[in-house]
Parts: sequence; C-alpha cells; structure tokens
Amino acid sequence: MILPSRRDFCKFAAALPVAMALPPQQHFQPTLIAGLPFGLETFSFHDLPAAGDPQLIPTIIRNMKSLGINECEIMSGHIEPWGSYATGWWVQTRTAPGYAKMREEARQWRLTVPMDYYRNIRRQFEDAGLRIYYYNVNFNETFSDEERDRTFEAARELGAEGFSSSTVISEAQRLVPFVEKHRMFVAMHNHNNLVDPDQFATPQSFEKALAMSKDFYATLDIGHFTAGNNDVVAFIRQYHDRITNIHIRDRKRDNGPNRPFGQGDTPIKETLRLIRDNHYPIRCYIEYEYGSFRSSVEEVRTCLEYCREALA
Amino acid sequence: MNLRWSMGALAVALLCLVQLASAQESKRKVDAGGSVAPTAALERGRTVYVLSSCHFCHGIDLTGASMGAADLMHDPLVGADRNGNLIGSIVLAGLPNLQTAMPKFADLTKDQISDLSGYIHYLRQQGRYKELMATNLDGGDAKAGEAYFNGAGGCNKCHSTSNLASATRKYDASTLRSRFLRPGPFLPAENAAPSAGEQAHLRLLENYSATDVANALAYLEKLPLLR
Repeated sequence: MILPSRRDFCKFAAALPVAMALPPQQHFQPTLIAGLPFGLETFSFHDLPAAGDPQLIPTIIRNMKSLGINECEIMSGHIEPWGSYATGWWVQTRTAPGYAKMREEARQWRLTVPMDYYRNIRRQFEDAGLRIYYYNVNFNETFSDEERDRTFEAARELGAEGFSSSTVISEAQRLVPFVEKHRMFVAMHNHNNLVDPDQFATPQSFEKALAMSKDFYATLDIGHFTAGNNDVVAFIRQYHDRITNIHIRDRKRDNGPNRPFGQGDTPIKETLRLIRDNHYPIRCYIEYEYGSFRSSVEEVRTCLEYCREALA
Repeated sequence: MNLRWSMGALAVALLCLVQLASAQESKRKVDAGGSVAPTAALERGRTVYVLSSCHFCHGIDLTGASMGAADLMHDPLVGADRNGNLIGSIVLAGLPNLQTAMPKFADLTKDQISDLSGYIHYLRQQGRYKELMATNLDGGDAKAGEAYFNGAGGCNKCHSTSNLASATRKYDASTLRSRFLRPGPFLPAENAAPSAGEQAHLRLLENYSATDVANALAYLEKLPLLR
C-alpha cells in the first residue's frame, strides 16, 4: 500500500497538456439497446494500469470506444492516484501498518488538488464522445466534512449527475446535509452482507436510506441482490422511481459466486424487459466480475451481447 | 556455390520458423489469468483459481490483494493448510460476514479443491522465496537462530551441525540464503511427488518470518567457526 510520490503525481499532471491538445469534443450519444441506455462500471476492467498511472484514463476510454459503450460509472480509484483502500472503504485494511499516514495523505490530496485535475479528466472523456454519468465514491466514516464537500465538487467537475456509493446506512445519515447543499444525489449500491445491519443488502436497508432524503437513490446491483436471496423484479417494480441505475451481473443465490451471464440465478432478462416494457428511467450498467482467461474487454462485449439478445 | 547458398537459405528459414514458434509459444503462455502453470496439476489449479475469479480479490500471483481480501501470501491459515483441508472449508462455505461477503463456491469438487490449494501453495512458495531473498536480513541473532534450529524450525530432526558446517563453508551469503530457503526445486518432475524433505522445506518456506531466516542464517554462518 504505497501512495504515489509527488514525482508520480507530477508525471500524471504532465499528461494534462497532451489531453488539452486532443481533437474538439464529440457529441455524446447514449448507447441504446431497445431504448434502454447502457453503460458500464469501470470496475469491469480488471486489467487496467495501476491507480495513478497516466495511461489509466486513456485505457478506460479506449476500452469503452472499442465496446461502443458511451457512458460509465467511474470508480474513485480510477480518478484518484490510489485505490479506495487509501480512503477507508475497506474496514479490514484500516488496521494495516501505515494506513493512518496513507489515509491522511489521501485526505490532504483531496483537499488541495486543483479542480482542473477533474476538469481535464472530464475533457478527455468528452473529447472521445463519452460521459462520466456517475462518480463511484465509497463514502465512509473516515471522511472529514471538508473531504465530503470537496468530493461533491469533484463529481460536479467530472460532469457526473451524481454518486453511486458502496456506503453504509450510518454514513448515509451524515450525507443528508451534503446532498441538500450540493443538490446532487447519492445512489446507494448494495452488496449481500446480510449479517451487518449497517450494510445495504436488503429492501429494508434501502428503504431506510430512501426515507432520509429525496436525493437518495439506489444503484441496484441485481447480482448481489440475488445472492442475498432478495427479489430483484419485485424491488424494481416497487422502487423504480428511486433507482438511478442497475449493475448487471449474474450470481447464484445463497451467497453464490459470479457466473457468466445466463449461468447464475439473477433474472437478467426479466429485469431488462421489465425496465423496457414499463419505460422505467433506469440506466443499465454492466459490471463484469466472473472469472475468465479472456480480457475484460472481450468479456464485457460478451455480457453486452447477452443483454442485446435478451432485449431482441 | 549453389549448395552453400541453399544451406544458408535453409538456415534462415529454420531460424524464422523457430522464432515464429517461440513467439506463438510465449503468446500462449500468458492470458488474463496470468502465466500458464508449469505442470498439468498446477494448471488445473490455476483454472479453478481463475474461473472462480479468486484473482480479482487475491491477486493473480497472490500479491496486490484488494477489496479487503485476505493476503494469501502471508495469511497463517494458508501456511497451515495441507492439501486444501483449511482452504477448502472457506472456499466451499464462503465468508458471508465480510464487508462485501466472499461468495461460496459450493460446486467445487474435492479434486478441484486439492488442485486449487496446490496452486495457491505453489504461488505462495514462489512469492515468499522472492520476498525473502530481497529482504534485508542483517543483524540476525545467532543464539536465537540456534534455538530456532533445535526448536520451532525442527531443523535438527534431519540435519547435523557437522554436515551443515561443511556445506556452509562452500557458499557465499546469497547462495547460502537461497539454499536455506529452497534447497530443492519448487517443482518435482511431472507426476512425481516431492520427497518428505522437499515437502518439509516448502512448508517452512511458506511460514518463515524474516526474523526466523535472519537468525537461522546468522547461526549457520557461525557453524564453521564453532566446529
């Protein structure tokens, strides 16, 4: 867990003028399948350069262009020069040697990095005709209020509509004044930990957050929701107006593993058809996480084809 | 003249073929799940490891564990595992109480668990060898090393100090360290089981601390002087 040095950061910054010299902005057009806007969670790219590498953003852009997917939810670990472990998301890593120093350095970076840093990344996407639709930041109790403020400002500079966040219910409570102040939504992303009542994993956990603020929404991960033995279709029917986007993956029930699309228990076809047939304003984002010997781009393409066939 | 020209052309053609085959071979040996493993059993283990997407959280070569996942290179449970008896129970049941819950892989067979654990141990042995060869081990305590030799390390069960003293005289410090960590090969010949001694050393390699190694080497380096 080594933070990038000042020299590494300068290398990253050195790439900025190159980006500024790119061709003028292309017009963004959503990737539509049967009228549904498709995108991807950048976590799907498992073979990217390391956080902070100047080639990371260009590689994401190249991959998206290759796939014909024009919008994304981008992880903070792909924007900031370190992974989300440095900003406290993983409870298990908070006790690691050197963590406290690393966390403080990450905080200071967030508080002092010029907003041009984010504007430049946005420009790189826009120049390629792509859009960062959601900024995926995993808010947690290690954030200071100043850091929360700056993170909302960063999301705005990235051009994001709002956040997707793998957060917890207690942190959602802290975020209420920030969504109101910045007029920007946070969509809670679920996993399937049914043991910890602070985690988003059930309809009831989502309901608690949705009741806290009208600016809270759900990023419903239909694979994790299924692995937690919940009913995806019933939840979408009930809360379609409070779901910004879904993460599409296929998992087995009972905390089962990720599987190639069509081999798990997740009702992917039914979900996509439900959204299409009812004209729900929900964006559909692929999140590739099953094992394969092929590249991430090849597998995301396979996932996309599965969705296309489901909606044919 | 013609014959010489023909021989030259043949040599060039052969060279091109060899290079082409070599390029294809090296292309075949790496994929999104890392390098193809050197034996059939390990490749079966790698297949389980990759297709179960273990590498996304635990790293392709056990380094760079992410998402709060266990560091399989250093986790003592892996070091204590024998043929999947501990790894298997976790893999089959998952860890539902983790922050993002490790999935359970209940469909894996006993053979697949055995292959998987073999591959994890292989990666761990390779990784720890590299790590301990690169670590600064100055300042070892020979007395503590002697205690380790005769106690926790169990070295004295197989090795006499007189044999080791003569062996120690032959090696420079780096070679001695390498021989201490890995006296035999990582891999036995295909289809051959490692000897009991090789197995014992590979188990030790998976569990040495840097302090253990520093102390034991300090002791070994003094042996010729003590005789």
